[in-house]
Amino acid sequence: MDALSGLNEEISHLLNELASGKLAGTDAFYVSQYTFWMVIAAALMLIVVFAAKKRLAIVPEGRFVNGVEALVEFVRKDVGEGVVGHGAEKHLPFLLTVFFFIVINNLLGLIPGVKPGTGTMGVTVALALIVFVYFNYYGIKKQGVGHYIINIAPKGIMFPLNILIWCIELISLLLRVVTLSVRLFANMYAGHIVLGTFALLTTLFITPAIQQLSGAAVAGALPAIAWMLLLVIMYAMELLVAVIQAYVFTLLTAVYISLATSEH
Amino acid sequence: MNAKSVTGRKVLLVSLLASGLTLLTPILAFASEEGGESASGGFALLIPKMGEFIPALIAFIVLWVILAKFGWPAIVGMLDKRAETIKSSLERAEKARIDSEYLLAEHKAQMDETRVQAAEIIAEAKRTGEVVKAEITAKAQEEATDMIAKASLAIEAEKKAAIAELQSSVADISVAVAGRLIGEDLSDDAHLKLIERYVAEAGSLDAN
Repeated sequence: MDALSGLNEEISHLLNELASGKLAGTDAFYVSQYTFWMVIAAALMLIVVFAAKKRLAIVPEGRFVNGVEALVEFVRKDVGEGVVGHGAEKHLPFLLTVFFFIVINNLLGLIPGVKPGTGTMGVTVALALIVFVYFNYYGIKKQGVGHYIINIAPKGIMFPLNILIWCIELISLLLRVVTLSVRLFANMYAGHIVLGTFALLTTLFITPAIQQLSGAAVAGALPAIAWMLLLVIMYAMELLVAVIQAYVFTLLTAVYISLATSEH
Repeated sequence: MNAKSVTGRKVLLVSLLASGLTLLTPILAFASEEGGESASGGFALLIPKMGEFIPALIAFIVLWVILAKFGWPAIVGMLDKRAETIKSSLERAEKARIDSEYLLAEHKAQMDETRVQAAEIIAEAKRTGEVVKAEITAKAQEEATDMIAKASLAIEAEKKAAIAELQSSVADISVAVAGRLIGEDLSDDAHLKLIERYVAEAGSLDAN
């Protein structure tokens, strides 16, 4: 297990690497690699949607269009109509943009070396804040400011308690920005660390064998196969997580819209 | 054999788990160390950086506006249009099926009716034929009987005429013959009287 001695240093290196790397600007305000990849993902998203739009036909042809249409249909039926219900069509463009933006960022992040937007709090907070403003806007528009504020707490609770419940509900409402953003960020960040760690372990175990090519070194490199296997498994899982987290974020957005636009 | 393979699998599973745990141990240890060391660094990760936050805000809103206007409606519209096309096609197919079944039933009924009518027409024609045949036969028979009757009458008349003529010629010849035989000419009146007497005698003789 000599190989493991270098692990500590390598992991520190990995964590530093994952911390937002400055591309341009001052220490107080700078554009990071995450911003760069987020812009790439946004451009990719436009390309994907407009390429799909160009290939639209009554009788669909090709896996690409079918795939995009399936995702749109999924967000529309399961998230839009399933959660928001009546009037979901109005919110569909927003929900679709949220879902596709996150899923493309997340999937882009699976490419080694790419630091996707969803891997940093700056981007996830921006998304969560937009969602927060969006559902509150529609809640106030539907119910009116007074009603909306009163309706933060559920009805039918007796006098002194309802003020307490209202305060708790208000905090929970405000915390939605934090929960949404941290959930997405933490899942992606943790995924990147796990993938990075297994990749590092594979490299650390295999390097001596490549450098020396002695029998003992080759035998010592055998655990690298296990690390590689785990890396592949984790990659499969991260692929799942990338899509699931996009789904969860969109689903919660729909739930919040639904809660805000329906009177308790 | 089976029990052996089950035991073998268990051993394999346990050894895999054990080796997995062994391999993971250093990482777990490392993680706890790292967590202790860089607590402040970990928290710093949760502070959004303006250089990421503002571009993300702008990028998302731009994407949202562009796609809500030019992207999503086209795709969603096509999904709706397709659903509508499939629905109307199915409805049309169903209607066509019902129509064709109705037409088929109608044609069958018409065919049956035609067949019955044809059979009736044939039967009617047969009956008419029989009647006409009987009429023709009866008429022919009647005509034949008539003709026979007429022929008989004609023959009878001819016979009578022939007899009358014969009688008169016999009388004439007899007078001539008698005149020659007795050498005197009888006057026509006497002659005639003589013959009539003979004939009367002959007739009476005949009657006898």
